[in-house]
Amino acid sequence: MSGGYRQQPGSPGKVTRKDGKRVAGKQAFPPPGSGGSKPTMAPRDLDFIPELVGGREAQPAGAHVHDRARTGTSVGKPTALVDSNAKVTGQAWYGDDVRLANEVIGKILRSPHHYARIKSIDTSKVEALPGVLAVATGADSPHQFGVLPVTKDEHAMAVDKVRHVGDLVASVAAVDEATAMAALNLFEVEYEVLEPVFDPKKGLEDVDEPIHWRGKYHLARTNVQKRVFQEFGDRSLVQKPLASSHGKWKMAGVHHGFTEPHAVVAHWGPNGRLQLYTPQQVPHYTHRALATVLDVPMHQINVIRTFVGGGFGGKSDPFPHEMCAAILSRKAGRPVRITFDREEVYWINRGRHPSHIEVKMTADDDARISGFDIDALIDGGGFASFGHVTSYYNGVLATAPYELGSFHYTGARVWTNKPASGAMRGHGAVNTRCAVEVGLDEMADQMKVDPMDLRLANLLPPHSRTISGFRITSNGMREALEKVREGSQWDTKFRQMPLGKGIGIGCGFFISGSGLPIHWDPNRFPHATVHIQVDMDGGVTVHTGAADIGQGSTTAIAQVVSEVLALPLEMIHVKCHESDTSPVDLGSYSSRVTFMNANAAIRAALEIREQLLKAAWEILGYHPNNLVLNDRRIYYKHDPAIGTSYLKALHKAQEDKGALIASGAYRSPPMGGVHKGAAAGLAPAYSFSAYVAEVDVDVETGMIKCTKVWAAHDCGKALNPLAVKGQIIGSCHMGLGQVLSEKMVYGRTGHLQNPNLLDYKIPSVHEMPHVEPIIVESCDPEGPFGAKEAGEGPLLPILPAVVNAVYDAIGIRLRDLPLTPDVVFKGIEKGMKAAGVDDPLDLAPPRVEHGELQPLLVKRAAEHKIRDQARQRSEDTSPYVNGVLFGFDPNIPLEDQVEGWRMATEPDPEQLAALGLAGKAWLKKEQRHMGGDE
Amino acid sequence: MMLMPPFTLHHPTSVDAACELAAQLMASGESFDWVAGGTDLLPNYKWHINTKPHVISLARIEGTSTISASELGCMTRLADLTEANGVHPVIVQAASKVASSLIRTNATLGGNLCLDTRCFWYNQGEDWRRSIDWCHKADCGSGADCRVIPNQNTLCVATYQGDIAPTLMVLGASVHLIGPNGARTLPIQSFYQLDGMKKNVLEEGEFLLKVTLPEEAALRTGSYQKLRVRDSWDFPEAGVAASWIEGDPSTLVLATTALESIPRCHPEEVAAVLADGWDGAASIKALSNSLQKSVKPVNNTALPPRYRRSMVRVLTKRAVQGMVK
Repeated sequence: MSGGYRQQPGSPGKVTRKDGKRVAGKQAFPPPGSGGSKPTMAPRDLDFIPELVGGREAQPAGAHVHDRARTGTSVGKPTALVDSNAKVTGQAWYGDDVRLANEVIGKILRSPHHYARIKSIDTSKVEALPGVLAVATGADSPHQFGVLPVTKDEHAMAVDKVRHVGDLVASVAAVDEATAMAALNLFEVEYEVLEPVFDPKKGLEDVDEPIHWRGKYHLARTNVQKRVFQEFGDRSLVQKPLASSHGKWKMAGVHHGFTEPHAVVAHWGPNGRLQLYTPQQVPHYTHRALATVLDVPMHQINVIRTFVGGGFGGKSDPFPHEMCAAILSRKAGRPVRITFDREEVYWINRGRHPSHIEVKMTADDDARISGFDIDALIDGGGFASFGHVTSYYNGVLATAPYELGSFHYTGARVWTNKPASGAMRGHGAVNTRCAVEVGLDEMADQMKVDPMDLRLANLLPPHSRTISGFRITSNGMREALEKVREGSQWDTKFRQMPLGKGIGIGCGFFISGSGLPIHWDPNRFPHATVHIQVDMDGGVTVHTGAADIGQGSTTAIAQVVSEVLALPLEMIHVKCHESDTSPVDLGSYSSRVTFMNANAAIRAALEIREQLLKAAWEILGYHPNNLVLNDRRIYYKHDPAIGTSYLKALHKAQEDKGALIASGAYRSPPMGGVHKGAAAGLAPAYSFSAYVAEVDVDVETGMIKCTKVWAAHDCGKALNPLAVKGQIIGSCHMGLGQVLSEKMVYGRTGHLQNPNLLDYKIPSVHEMPHVEPIIVESCDPEGPFGAKEAGEGPLLPILPAVVNAVYDAIGIRLRDLPLTPDVVFKGIEKGMKAAGVDDPLDLAPPRVEHGELQPLLVKRAAEHKIRDQARQRSEDTSPYVNGVLFGFDPNIPLEDQVEGWRMATEPDPEQLAALGLAGKAWLKKEQRHMGGDE
Repeated sequence: MMLMPPFTLHHPTSVDAACELAAQLMASGESFDWVAGGTDLLPNYKWHINTKPHVISLARIEGTSTISASELGCMTRLADLTEANGVHPVIVQAASKVASSLIRTNATLGGNLCLDTRCFWYNQGEDWRRSIDWCHKADCGSGADCRVIPNQNTLCVATYQGDIAPTLMVLGASVHLIGPNGARTLPIQSFYQLDGMKKNVLEEGEFLLKVTLPEEAALRTGSYQKLRVRDSWDFPEAGVAASWIEGDPSTLVLATTALESIPRCHPEEVAAVLADGWDGAASIKALSNSLQKSVKPVNNTALPPRYRRSMVRVLTKRAVQGMVK
C-alpha cells in the first residue's frame, strides 16, 4: 500500500464469517471506524516540522520550547474552522435559536429620558393584562454588578435613576411578543427629569447631580469616572526639538456592528438551578454577576454560551438584560427569552469611546523620538464597563514599538448621559495609535526623512523593556515594516503620486492576553485551564471555557491538541459551551485565548502524550525518546514498521484506570513594574503590525476610496494561516469603517441619531480594498508553538495608514474621525484657501526631498537590524531597556543614571497648570481629601 | 425583535378590483396603504410608523410590469429596469444605483416614485420616537412639532430620497394615476407636492399605475449623478439628473433629488444661464453655481446640509460634462 502504513499493521485475521456475522473473540478490538476515518497512516509532513527537530520548516527566529511537541499534523496548515459546517448549513445555534418548551417572551421598558430620577413605577395595569406572567423592576434586584470588580455600577433595571435614553426601567414576561409589547405601554412611571450631560468636556465640571456617586473616592462633584497620570523618562529631552507635531483629534464613538443582536434565554430548571443561554464572549463574568444579582451561589447556575454571531468586545460585559431574563424566569416559573432589536443593541452599546485626543511629540537632532505627550479625554457614557482599563490603555499602549526619551500621559474617562462605551476590538489602543502614527509622519516631513526609515531607526528590539516597564519578548515589527515597504513599492510611490492618489504607513502594537486576570491573583490561580479526556473510542474530548466568537478559538485548541497527539482534527472534540463542564476561563477578550488556552491545552495534551508513549514503550520496548508520533501511530523513529497503533497504545495506557484524563493550565510569568496602574497593558507577549494603504481621494467631493492595503502582522506563529489572514482582512474592514464612515451620531438633543444599520455606515463590499495579508512569524518564546494574537492588533494600523495616505494624496492633515466626505471637503476648502486656489483640482500634493538626516537613519536602521536579529535568535541575551538608544546603560536603573528620570503616577503641583484637557481632572480633589462625604 | 404589526393584506387582480376595494374601504372609514415591492413600506411598518389596518398589494394586478421605451408599469422591478433593453440609459443608470441588488430585485418603479420621505427624527423605532416626544410627521396624536426646524408646525421637511424621479423629469415623463374617482395623467413634475407628509398629489384611494415617456426622450442623452457614502444600500444624499439632445444645448433639462421634500426640475436656472448663450465650461460653471443656490437641504439625512448643497455644484458639473466633449 503506497503512501503510508496500515493503521493496525499485520493481518487483521478473519473477523467475519461467510454469513457476515463476526467471529467470536476474533474481532479487532476497536469497533470499525474508530481511530480516524482513513485506513492508512499519512506520511510525516516534514514541511511542518521545525528544522531544529529534524523537519524542513525554517526557523529564522531559532528554537522554540514546543518544537519537540510538533508532529506536523495541524499547526501551520490553513484549516477551515471546525465549526464552519455548522455555520454555513444554518445549524449553529445562536442566542435567538434557543427554543425551550413553554418559553415566554420578555420585553424591556426603556427610559425615554436622558437622565431622570424614577419617583414611582406602577405596575398594576401591567400585571392585570391577560397573558402577562411576570413583571420586574429595579426593586427586584438591588445588587450592583459590572464587568470590573472595581467599578460595579450597573443594576438589572434602574434603581433610583435612569442614565441614558434606552436605559432599562422595568421588564415584563408574557405569553407572546405582542402581549409583552402591549404590556410595556401599561407601565406608569413617574420621572423627575434631571439635567443631562452629553459633552465629555462638561463631564469634568462639578454638577449638582453626578451620574454616579462614588462616595469618598468621588472626584469633587464631577462626572469623572477615572483619571490617569503617567510620566516616565527624562522630560528635559523634549526641549529644543528638531521636529515636533501637535495634533488635536476628535474621534467619534463607533459600535462593533456584530451581526447577531443580543439574545438570552433563562430557565430555572426543576431542581432549582438556573440555566442561562447567552451569546457571551465572557460567560464566566456573567456567571459571577448572575450569582451576585440573583443571590444564589455560582454552582446553582449553569451558563451556556450559544454560538456567538460576532462579539468584537461588544458581548463581553455581563448585561442587565441577562439579569432581567433570569429574574423574570424565576418569577414566571417558565423559560424567558429576550431578543434585542438593533436599536436596543445600540443602546446597550459598549462600543469604542468617543474621544478627544491630543498628542504632542518631539524628535531630537538624531531623529530620535524624545517625547510623547498624550492627553485622552474619553466619553464613557452612562456606565463604567471596561472604562477603568480603557483609561489606561489610551496611553500605555503607545509606549511601543518605538524607543522613547520620555512619555507623558494624562487620561480621563467621564460619565455622560449616553449609552455606555466599553471594550471594542483594539481596546483603548486604536485612537491614540492613529494619532501617534500620524504625528510621526508629520515629524518625518519636518525632518525631510522617509517615515518608513524614521520608524525603522527607532524601534525597540526583541527581548527589551518599554519605558513603562512592559516586557517585550518576540518582536516582528521590523520585518513587518520591511515587507509592506517592499510589497507596496513604497519607495517609488510615496510623495510621488499625482493629486488625489496617496499612500500611507501605519504601525500597530497590541497585547496578546492581559497579564492580570481581573478577578484573582495571577500568582495563585491560572489564567486558563483545559481538561482533556480520552476514552476507549480514541476520540479526544477537550473541555475548555474559551469562548469562540467566530475568531476560531475552538479550532485553535483542536489544532494544538491534534498536533501534540498526532491525531486528525476530526478526532478532537472541543466542548466549550457550558460552565458546568468547562474549566473556569476568563473568556474572549484582550486577545488572550489562543495564547493562554492553547498553552494550557498543549500542557494537557503533553500529559496524555506522555501516557501514550509510556504505554507504547511497554508494547514496543523502545524508550519514548526513540519513538515518533505520527498520524494515529507510534513507532520506532528509525523504522516506521516497528510500531503500534494509537488505539492499541491508548488501550494499554487505559488498563486498570479507564479513560485518560489530563489537565493543563497557563499562568503568566511575574512581570511588570510596581507603579500604580503598572498592570494595565501588561501582557505575556505583544503583537506588532505595519500596514501600507493606498487611497484615491476625489478632491471635488471629498470622497475617499481605499484601493489597496498591504497588511503585515506579526502573530508569532500562524497556527492557522487561513484564520490569521481572515482576521487581518476583517480587521481592515472594521478599521476602515472607523476611519471612513462609521460613527455613533449624537444630535443636538443628545439622542443617538443612527441606531440602525442603514444610517450607521459599515463599509459595504464596494468600499473594501484589495487586502494583501502578510504574515510575519517572530516565534514568541512563550506562545503556543510561538503564536501570539492576531484578532485585535491588525485593526490598529489601518486607521493611521489611511489618514497618512490621504495627506499624501491631497496634502491636508485631517484629525476628525471618521473622514466622512463632508469632513474631507471642509479640509480641502481650508487647504484651497491656504494655497490660494479656486479649484480643488489645482491643489498641489506634497512632495519630499530627503535631507541630511535620511542617510543617518538608513545607517542606524541597518545597524539595528543586525542587533535585532541577534537578539531574536538569543545570540545576544544582554538586557535592553528603553533608553539605550539615548545612551543609557541598561544594567543600571535609569533613575540612578539620569537626573530627572521620572516614574510618576501623579502630577507634581507645578505641573497642574500645564496639563491638557483630560489632565484637568487632576485639578479636582477626591471627596475624602475635601472633608466631604465619607 | 421587531414585530410586524398585524394588517389585512388584499390582493386585487385587476385595476378595477383594486379601485373598487379602495372605494369600499374608504366608504367604511378604514385606512389603508398601497404596497408594491414593500421595501419601503414594510420597514416603516416594522418601526410602527404610520401603520394602517389594511394593505392593498398591486403585485397581482395584470399588466402593471410593462417595460418599453415609452411605457413603464408601476410594478416594474428595479432589477428588471436595469436589465431590460429599450429603457432609456439615464433611467437604467439611476435604477442600478438604488439601494442594493437584493432590494432592487423586489423594489418597484412605482414604489420608488412614491417613496416615503425620510428624516432621522422619523425613521426610527417607536421607543426612540417616544424619547423625542414624537415629531410632526408621525405625531401619534400628540400634535408634536417638527424636530428638524422647531417652531414651525405647518410643513414637514422630510427629504424625498428617490433616485429615479429626477431622471424621469429630465426625460419629460408623465405619470398615470388611477383611483375610484377615475384616471388622470400629469407631467411628473406636477406629481410631487411640497410637503414631506403629503409628498405627492395622490388622493386617497388613488395609485400610480404607469409612467409614459414621450418619443422625444429617445433622442436625449444625459446622466444621473448620485451622492452617497457607500456604493450600496444608501439612499442618495443628493442627486442631479441632466438630459439634452446632442448638439443642442438649448434642450438641456436639469432636475435634483434628495435635497428637499420633493424632487425638482430647474427650468428657471437653466433658462437664465442659457439666455446668455452656450459657452461650454463657463456655462457649466454658471449652471452648477445656480443650481447649488437654488436648493435648500435641511439637516435630516446622514450628511450635513451645507455639504450636500456644495455637492450639487459638483454633481451638476459632472452630469452635464458630456455636453462639452
